[in-house]
Amino acid sequence: MKEISLATAGNGKFSRFRPRSGISGVINNLILVILALAVVLPLLLPWFFVFKTRLEFSYSPWSLPAQIQWNNFQEAWKAIHIGQGLMNTFWVCLGAIVCTVPAAGMAGYIFARYRSKVTEVIFYAVLVGYFVPVHMVLIPLYQLNVKLGIIDTLPGLFLPMTAFGIPFWTIIYRSFFRGLPGELAEAARIDGAGHAGIFFRVMLPLANPATILAVLLVFIGSWSDYLLSLVLLNSPRNFTMQLRVAQFLNQYGTDNMPRYAAAAVISAAPTLLLYIIGHRWIIRGTLAGALKG
Amino acid sequence: MFRSKAVVFVTLLLLVSLCFGLLATVSAQPVKLVVWGRDLPDDDPAHAYVKALVTGFKANNPDIDLEYVALGDPGLTDKTKVVMASGSGLPDVFQSWGGSVMGGYADAGRLLDLTAELKDLPCSPAAREAMSWKGKIYGVAPFFAIAGLFVNEDLFDAYGYAVPTTLKELEEVADAFLAKGIQPFACGARDKWPVLAFYMYLTDRYGGIETFADAQARRGRFDSEPFVKAAQHYQDWVKKGYFGDMPLSEAYGDAQQLMATGKAAMHITGSWMCAQYSDEDFTDQTIGFYAFPVLEGGKGKVTDIMGQTDIGFAATHVAADKKEAVVRFLKYTMDPEPCAAEPGRICSVPGVPSPSRLNEMASAVFGTAEVVQFWWDQDLPPMLTAPLNDAMQNFFIPDADVKSVLTEYEWLVEDHLGPAK
Amino acid sequence: MKNGTGVHVLPQTTILHRRKREKKKRDWNSIIFQAIFLLPAIAFLLVFMYYPIEETFRISLTRSVGLGDADFIGFQNYSRLFASTEFRAGFMNVLAWAFWSIVIQIPLAFFIAFSLTAYRNRLTGTLRAVYYLASVMPSAIVAMLGRFIFAPRFGVIASLAEALNWTWLGRIDFLGNPDIAFWSVFAVATWTYTGFPIVYFMANIEQIPMEIRESAQLDGATQGQYARYIVIPWVSYAIRIVAIISTVGSLKLFDLPWLITSGGPVHATTTLAIILYKQGFVNWQYGRAAAVGVVIFLLSLIFTVAQFSIQRKGGDVN
Repeated sequence: MKEISLATAGNGKFSRFRPRSGISGVINNLILVILALAVVLPLLLPWFFVFKTRLEFSYSPWSLPAQIQWNNFQEAWKAIHIGQGLMNTFWVCLGAIVCTVPAAGMAGYIFARYRSKVTEVIFYAVLVGYFVPVHMVLIPLYQLNVKLGIIDTLPGLFLPMTAFGIPFWTIIYRSFFRGLPGELAEAARIDGAGHAGIFFRVMLPLANPATILAVLLVFIGSWSDYLLSLVLLNSPRNFTMQLRVAQFLNQYGTDNMPRYAAAAVISAAPTLLLYIIGHRWIIRGTLAGALKG
Repeated sequence: MFRSKAVVFVTLLLLVSLCFGLLATVSAQPVKLVVWGRDLPDDDPAHAYVKALVTGFKANNPDIDLEYVALGDPGLTDKTKVVMASGSGLPDVFQSWGGSVMGGYADAGRLLDLTAELKDLPCSPAAREAMSWKGKIYGVAPFFAIAGLFVNEDLFDAYGYAVPTTLKELEEVADAFLAKGIQPFACGARDKWPVLAFYMYLTDRYGGIETFADAQARRGRFDSEPFVKAAQHYQDWVKKGYFGDMPLSEAYGDAQQLMATGKAAMHITGSWMCAQYSDEDFTDQTIGFYAFPVLEGGKGKVTDIMGQTDIGFAATHVAADKKEAVVRFLKYTMDPEPCAAEPGRICSVPGVPSPSRLNEMASAVFGTAEVVQFWWDQDLPPMLTAPLNDAMQNFFIPDADVKSVLTEYEWLVEDHLGPAK
Repeated sequence: MKNGTGVHVLPQTTILHRRKREKKKRDWNSIIFQAIFLLPAIAFLLVFMYYPIEETFRISLTRSVGLGDADFIGFQNYSRLFASTEFRAGFMNVLAWAFWSIVIQIPLAFFIAFSLTAYRNRLTGTLRAVYYLASVMPSAIVAMLGRFIFAPRFGVIASLAEALNWTWLGRIDFLGNPDIAFWSVFAVATWTYTGFPIVYFMANIEQIPMEIRESAQLDGATQGQYARYIVIPWVSYAIRIVAIISTVGSLKLFDLPWLITSGGPVHATTTLAIILYKQGFVNWQYGRAAAVGVVIFLLSLIFTVAQFSIQRKGGDVN
């Protein structure tokens, strides 16, 4: 096995790679920056509204506020009750991750490396879960939860979420595992590892990028879920934080845009924070994936 | 002998005190009432009624444990449907707009018949009718909305126009505003449902109040003359530019914004807008509410009014063993105490003072009503309302053939309700 | 490829086949292992996915109003559906949506992903974070932003047109003109849905082993050649996966067209999932809603199977 050198593993130093000639490099960067601006600028739009009164907003939505009004944020913050429901959200996210990621990872591994007629058929069977639009199953799902006695409980929420997430992440894991070279598995087998050994010691660590992506995205997805939480939970004591926030957002809208914008900013903030913290892990994870020997 | 009497007496005493003890525990348990509503009971002025309702009821009824859950819109309607469909997890009381949607739930046996308890509650006949279905009363409607003409009085005064009372005068005023660069009517056609308010009145003014009722009862067709004439009239207005250059991209919120800033002169919509249009924080224009004008030579009268439940509540069958508590709650929703807190809606309870001039005007118009036709999308069975809204959007397309659009809708109605006689 | 011991080694799958040919008896270890690993996923799906799916198939053959019993009416729901103009519009819209998603979003995502991995500098990490940011936003907020931008009179574009006196721009009816509305909503969708493919492609491109990168550079390949002859074949499987995700996502599309234009004007931006929602939750026609669901389901299945079998014919990658 070659030595693994972290320094050259793509940590920003492609100095040995012949760089693009000056102009095309600059154009390339310019395009990227413009595209990035196209992403960021719309996110700034609500900030034009949040400090205005409704009247000021009606007359001139895009001007700078004449006077900074803080009460939109204050009212929105008071009404959202951030903190209430936080524990519920936490349990739901945790449950979703713990159930989805291992199940999808293990299944994806089998579909990638143990291909047979049987597993192909099962793969399609798993895949069909991805074809289901949520509204289609809301009512049967509600009735199912009632039958199983888990209606209005947190497991009753994250177990169906898992079922919705597994097909997607199975596809992703399968593609990741397929992309891994076979010699490593072969070498481990020669060293005497069994099926499970190969998986846990060799393959799984190599699929770190996928796992990190999965954990992060399943977390964010279950954090911001609205529809399933609305339908499958009845008592306010079980409501997740995002559900409360979404309910709050539904109160306003067109007739109080500044307050709605303030609420939107507050509601997006946790997701944004999670994302900012989490995305560093993605980079670290994908860098680790670039270590090949 | 004395001993046996003593034994009997003591046993009786024990039994009686046991009974009392049981009764005491039972009545000491607070009755739990779960109410699903739309608005959060917070400090927003638009939510003042709900806040007063919830806090007031809890204060006045310490023996009832009220759990009010605010689900927002569309959260409330979506969740109610899911729960009604499955039949379990129903709340005791839920906010409802009556009409055919509530009727569907009633037909499926999900609701609680409260005719006996609520029939003598003082309220407007239209409000009571709205929350009844097939002769039985299932809930209350503390606030009832009517459709009418909101007029920017500042603009009218500035140019010296009088508020129109006939459609011809209305069009003259519209032309005048158009010439001055002011959009005559705000609408909100992008959201589809706002289109209905004007169409209901036009059809009524052409064919009379029975037109829609006949078509729905299958005594007439939806592509009969009044409907088609009204549609063509609507389309003419769109072509003339009365609804602006790009009426289909104007959402209901945009329409409100236009009225609030004086860029539109009139708005034909429901009286629920009274709160915003009289709110200084929302608009600095003076806006008034008037009855929809009549069509000279048409069959509709100015006293034909289109209305619907603004805020209403109905009870489900799971509350059957808590009837007394439920009725107490429903009666409290009609109590002047919380009703007085509402900043804009027309109250169905007599004797509640109007919170604003605009509300007074709206209530006055409501007071003149001789016949109230329910908003079509509350009156028609649910399967026909979305197609109606989709069909009406066609009026905003200048080269659409409105008659064939209406005929297609008629076919759809025939599929569900049978052919017209 | 050679491993450290100099033995010429074949990819894993070939080895498995060889093994099978050598040992005529079943490899029970392997089968048990596979079964155990597949069990959790299948269990979850069986309970929470297949039962609702089966229910939906069943309801689609009835005239259900969602309350109480339903009469069996065979395929009437389907025939009514296919005859309805709204359904046909929704059907064409989702197909068009899938097509343009693949044609526009995938090349865009690949371009960005490649540029960010192959030519790194300080900006790369930040840029990647930014691009993905858009897909993390909940759809309600994305729709709200879309409305802000495209609204008439007071929207960003309209206000900009007024300020710059570009009347041609102000006259474009982004949301009210049936022909343009589709593209306005599609633009918003591209904004939010391109983030995941970018990140996914990047993760795949970064898996390309150092030797390959270095040998390409030693051979004097330009960026363009490197992209065309090495990177694209390497990530072609990932591209197919994204194509499937985009297609199925388009077939299921609901949030953005519903929140921005309510599926309008008339039926210009309606989708199959919007029709499902309207039939189920507004019209109370659960039978018909279930039928739409089945259509979405079957279309997804057809497209996905087609995608995977094209790929198999083309031979495995790597």
